[in-house]
Amino acid sequence: MAVQDTTTHNTGSGSGSRSGEERTPVAPARGSRHAGNSLRLRALEPLLWLGPALALILGVVIWPVVEMVRTSLMDISSTGVTRGFAGGANYAELFAEPDLPGVVLRTLVWVVGVVTATITVSLALAQLLNSRFPGRRMVRWALIVPWAASVLMTALTWRWMLNNFYGVVNRVLMDVGILDKPVNWLAHPAQAFAWMMAVAVFVSLPFTAFVILSGLGTIPAEVYEAARLDGAGPARTYLSVTLPLLRPSLLVAAIINVINVFNSFPVIWAMTRGGPGFATDTTTTYMYKLAFDNQAVGESAAMAVVNFALILLVVLVYLRVVRRREEIG
Amino acid sequence: MKRHLIGIAAGVTLALVVSGCGKGGSSGDGDSDGKTIRFVAAKYDDDTQPYWDNLIKAFEARNPGYQVELEVVDWEQLDSKVKTYIQTGQQPDVLNYNKFSDFARDDLIYQAKDIVSPKVLADFLPLFADQAQYEGVQYGLPFISSARLFFYNKDIFDKAGISEPPSTWAEVEDAARKIQKAGDIPLGLPLGAEEAQAEFYIWAMNNSGGWIDKSGKWTVDQQANVETLDYLRKLTKAGLTQPNPEATNRKDVFNQFAQGKIGMVNGAVFMRKGFLDTVDKNLNYGIAPLPSKDGTTHNTLGVQDYLVAFKKDEGRNREAVNKFLDFFYQKENASKFLSTEGFLSVTKSAGNALSSDSAYYKPFVDALSGARFAPTDNPNWSAVEGAVKQRIGTAVSGAEPKKVLGEIQETAEKDG
Repeated sequence: MAVQDTTTHNTGSGSGSRSGEERTPVAPARGSRHAGNSLRLRALEPLLWLGPALALILGVVIWPVVEMVRTSLMDISSTGVTRGFAGGANYAELFAEPDLPGVVLRTLVWVVGVVTATITVSLALAQLLNSRFPGRRMVRWALIVPWAASVLMTALTWRWMLNNFYGVVNRVLMDVGILDKPVNWLAHPAQAFAWMMAVAVFVSLPFTAFVILSGLGTIPAEVYEAARLDGAGPARTYLSVTLPLLRPSLLVAAIINVINVFNSFPVIWAMTRGGPGFATDTTTTYMYKLAFDNQAVGESAAMAVVNFALILLVVLVYLRVVRRREEIG
Repeated sequence: MKRHLIGIAAGVTLALVVSGCGKGGSSGDGDSDGKTIRFVAAKYDDDTQPYWDNLIKAFEARNPGYQVELEVVDWEQLDSKVKTYIQTGQQPDVLNYNKFSDFARDDLIYQAKDIVSPKVLADFLPLFADQAQYEGVQYGLPFISSARLFFYNKDIFDKAGISEPPSTWAEVEDAARKIQKAGDIPLGLPLGAEEAQAEFYIWAMNNSGGWIDKSGKWTVDQQANVETLDYLRKLTKAGLTQPNPEATNRKDVFNQFAQGKIGMVNGAVFMRKGFLDTVDKNLNYGIAPLPSKDGTTHNTLGVQDYLVAFKKDEGRNREAVNKFLDFFYQKENASKFLSTEGFLSVTKSAGNALSSDSAYYKPFVDALSGARFAPTDNPNWSAVEGAVKQRIGTAVSGAEPKKVLGEIQETAEKDG
């Protein structure tokens, strides 16, 4: 540690990136013939420190991506044996699928719909949880339940609740007199999709509500006091004080939800398997069907690459928005 | 202290690199002595695992030094598991599956004559052995078979005033209308993803339709198949089936039949063991041939599953595989599996051993002699089956039958 300390002291408050050059004049003072070698070694030293992180990123993030892209360019037989390079054939086949446009459009509806609904409801929920009332702690705990329960289990439970013959939803609606005969909710694409979006919102609520709740906690009380002194009513206070100050948490909640919902597989798979036909598929479930129903692993990998590109696009847009906001701030 | 940290950092890096690289090479190391084999079995029901556990224990006791590692996998996950195993070079030595021909095409599995004794090979019923061939050579070992017949609820028929089970499509529709009037669900029609290909083929084959023509060309979009879907669509639209056939799976329909809620259904041989025995043993039902369009010939759908053995380590696993398979195909062992799971025999010896319970099984065995099978010997069948499961149901609800069949035909003509 000592060596490093002196060098930093010598170079003073110079920027870190230039410390290497500025250290050069120090070296001859040590009078060693191997100065050049040891310098070169020392230049490699950061690699050791960065190594584990780099290896982790390479192994866990980069390698699978490379492998995915490579698979999408291969001709893979239905048994799983690789037959060689296929070029763009998998992509050509994917884009020629008659069902693809509908699936992509539905994915868009799915992501926008679920994320918007989740955030709207979460805003209200967070506000409720932030106010003082007896039993608040209990309610906060209760909200965690849909989060802690397995998504697959929740989706399966909903499938049975919506079942045509045994489902509790039909029973309740018939007892109340809203329906006079059972409705097969999950068999009609539009209804099924709406129910699945509702379930997706249900499982996304806890996380989003807690992110917003923590955002509410960071707003200082003085701001509200000032607003009250200026004569702002509750609606005005919410719109002009609370919402703008919540922006950072809202942004985080939105982006994480977009990625989660985009990749959401268990809700759709457990409730309708994307059916009937492909009428309730999103790109994520469609990808699975391509690989294991159509036996087209390469085409499925192509779908995965397209999916990945879409998400990357969303993240880049997010980063740009954040940077612009920082500049404005 | 600094040196220590560098050491740790270097160590971690090294460990990550080594473990990353090591993954590829480790598969199959345990099998190199050729006496330990891995067996992936499909899960038919809860009795499957205990059966294999017992069989393997007996096998290992009889053959000291040999070991079988068992993995029982649910049908729903089997497909993705098998594909992953092959893609990563970790295929099992023996696999229990419902397809074999694309393995044979890709030269992954042994021919049948290399893995069972000539005695076992000669014991397979020709009907099933023929269905286990790829380009004229037998690769698959027939494992179990099942046949379909028409099940009807006698109480519902009495209530609706129907005396005879229907034999033609017109009679089916007529009976369905009577049952509808009496207030029950007339016909169970499971065209959901689980087994839609079987249900459709049962109706299509009894209208002289099907998947391929005599020369082996795909004919999914033939006129007879369009007519079949038109008929099923008409029944659906008239409310003569359970609601939404396109979203109902076979096991739901079988369950409802067992509960006495459905009048007629194309049932399978395992209906009694799998559904009636567990739901309602005393259900008053009858079994009849599958109705056909004109009522002259009644075809039945035969289904068989296979055992296949993968080539590994330059054939070093062949001897152990051979020993294990010969052991399974001994009369007592094979017939015990069939009676445990409620399936039909694929070998002469086990078939003879199973004569005890013939009253229920006899009509199925008789029907099997003229059964039609899905073209599992065509390597493209897996892809076609996948497409049928996903699409065919939509033809009785929203989509045009002709268009749906055309899309499946396109999948069929693609190169697997």
